[in-house]
Amino acid sequence: MSTLSEPEIRALSKIIDELNYYEILRIPPGAGSTQIRHAYHSASRTFHPDVRRRLDTQLQTECDRISKRVTEAYCVLRDPRKRQAYDAKRARGEGLRIQISEARALHEREAVQARQGRTPEGRELFRKATEAIEQERWGVAFQNLQLALSFEAENPFFRAELDALQAQHPVEALRAR
Amino acid sequence: MAKNAVGIDLGTSYSCVSIMEPHGPRVLANAFGERTTASVVFFRDDGSIEVGNHAKANVIHDPVHTVSSAKRLMGRFFFSEEVKKARAIYAYDIREAAQHAVRVGIRNEEFSIPEISAMVIREIKQIAEAQLGTPVRQAVITVPAYFNDNQRQATKDAGKIAGIDVLRILNEPTAAALAYGFGRGMNQRVAVYDLGGGTFDISILEIGKDVFEVLATCGDTFLGGDDFDDRVLDLLADEFVARHGLNPRNDPYAFEKLKAAAEETKRCLSVEEEVRVQIEHVMKNEAGEVLSLDRTIDRVEFASLVQDLIQRTFKVCDEALQQSDLTTRDLDGVILVGGPTRLPVIRKAVSDYFQQEPKADVDPDEVVAMGAAIHAASLTGTEAGSDSILLDVTPLDLRIGVVGGLAEAVIENNTPVPIAQSRSFTPARDDQESVTIRVYQGESRVAAENELLGQFEFSGFAKGRRSEVQIEVQFEINADGIVEVTASDPVTGEKASTSITLSSGLTPSDMETILREDPTARVSTPATIQKEETNLSPESTESNSDPHDQTPLPFENDDNAIDPSSLELETDKLPDDGQPFMTEAVEGADLFDASVQDLAGPESDLDGR
Repeated sequence: MSTLSEPEIRALSKIIDELNYYEILRIPPGAGSTQIRHAYHSASRTFHPDVRRRLDTQLQTECDRISKRVTEAYCVLRDPRKRQAYDAKRARGEGLRIQISEARALHEREAVQARQGRTPEGRELFRKATEAIEQERWGVAFQNLQLALSFEAENPFFRAELDALQAQHPVEALRAR
Repeated sequence: MAKNAVGIDLGTSYSCVSIMEPHGPRVLANAFGERTTASVVFFRDDGSIEVGNHAKANVIHDPVHTVSSAKRLMGRFFFSEEVKKARAIYAYDIREAAQHAVRVGIRNEEFSIPEISAMVIREIKQIAEAQLGTPVRQAVITVPAYFNDNQRQATKDAGKIAGIDVLRILNEPTAAALAYGFGRGMNQRVAVYDLGGGTFDISILEIGKDVFEVLATCGDTFLGGDDFDDRVLDLLADEFVARHGLNPRNDPYAFEKLKAAAEETKRCLSVEEEVRVQIEHVMKNEAGEVLSLDRTIDRVEFASLVQDLIQRTFKVCDEALQQSDLTTRDLDGVILVGGPTRLPVIRKAVSDYFQQEPKADVDPDEVVAMGAAIHAASLTGTEAGSDSILLDVTPLDLRIGVVGGLAEAVIENNTPVPIAQSRSFTPARDDQESVTIRVYQGESRVAAENELLGQFEFSGFAKGRRSEVQIEVQFEINADGIVEVTASDPVTGEKASTSITLSSGLTPSDMETILREDPTARVSTPATIQKEETNLSPESTESNSDPHDQTPLPFENDDNAIDPSSLELETDKLPDDGQPFMTEAVEGADLFDASVQDLAGPESDLDGR
């Protein structure tokens, strides 16, 4: 059981705004979900208001503050999508905190972007491919999707669209111009 | 002598109290040896009251002065569905007070719901004191997990009025899991299926050696054992109408008789295959003839009456499993909580749904109070080995009202607590003088479809072009699930906040008045044992104290009156001009007054970067 002395709690409370979520939970940035949960449990054993209710009022306030940040860190890091949004925000140097609703919104925007394409070329080619599919010009769609993927090899939506096309139509149809 | 911190399960129909002892939690029985006490208050004409199982028996003779199921009204607005429903079912007088609060009218007096509940808590407190022989001042009180902030606040107020220092408001399913997992050193994922008298909760928990983490909780505060009774009641009433052409629903006494019979029938069907309902005297017709009822109900018929109610609970279970990313196969156990779960029809349906038998070693009526007792001991540090921590979640989205009658989610449901989240907003117009912060709990984007927790004005921000003004709103939910909201301007450093409290039904000044009153002014005279017409025989348990000791204990008089200045309830600026503050929404107009108080949607900090 991790126990912190009173000066340590005061010190932590003072610097908590300068810590990222990994530092708050004392885990490496690559930590897996089990490690994250254990870290949350262990931090809660120290800072949860139920544990700390016998401290003096001022120290309780500090613990409450830390405890809320611990929960916040856990909420973001335990959810792969929110964690991704947080890591991206941090990589852009835009702060050490992310509000949960903000993480969700960011992720949703990500998802829309992924669907439509992240690069200008990818977006344009994907648009052409969708158009071709509507016109049932399978060969053109096929070619544009392949090209789009050459710009965004990781895009799962492009990949899925291409797979669907290949599954539904014979190779000859896709080769036709 | 260690402090006596007890656990109280304040139920819709029955309440239960427990204390932690070295070997584990013990349920404290009342003077009759009954381990649960009806949450019913009977008001005698001499101004005294009676609380408990005997008061419940009175409902048939004097339904107008017997208040039952008050928990259903806890923290509700008068116009809410739940209050409408209660007014249709209960014979006692449910009235509207200022700000849409609910009051119970008894003769020429009026009581708030927390005051009624406080009478039940006081009775429970006396039961515990009689058993322990020492004063009880501290308690953990449980609430349905799906209770909103208003309902939690109201419960806390009730505890304070009863002279109890409420250590913690604890969710019932979490308490049950704590009692189940306590001291077993297990590592399990469990579902707690909690069907109480008036509410249904399902919680999925992960129990570790010393950590109880709630993964998800979902619920329905409109569904409970009472609804099962109502189905039987309807059947009996319809039968009576068909036979005699008279509607017993129009006669409060006849109605109460049928209601009591319906509840009894439900209980009997837990053990019997069929039940014959015979009531010699339901009511008289115009000619003065006594009309009777005789109807047999078996388990199959009962099952068909309540099947849709049971299915409704599984919809909620689906949601909880989905939110915790689990399937029924991932669960190591199912714990049943609440009297109605004794019904075979429910047990069967639950084991079918979860594909496993529920745990048999858990008493559904007592497990919640036991868990509360364990936690009370842990919080006061009186018993070793109770240092488990409970990591709970908030059951409902927490939202802020924005322009267009909408409510933006700031904290999602099933977010662990305690937590703080903040968001930036701008005023709706340039040079706006003040904003009204309205806080809601609920699942809807439409503000009016959620529960309004409270509102306050904030004007301490720098005035100017709306794009340059920034208002930071911080939302906090503490470990009790109670909400606090603060608005501030990072530039001016000005702040305004509220511990939200609105429909607990009591204003801070109401609370002060109540707490200033002599706490002994309305002492319950417990069902005295000499009333022999009751079939309740006092079971003499070895620890049972002298029944004559039931008179109010002397320490009732001493310093347990709370200093009103210690109350956390704050004044918030509600329109007390009698103008209903939600009518705008009801009429479909914009939620905010046309004047000065619009908040624009969340600042476009997501796109602007």
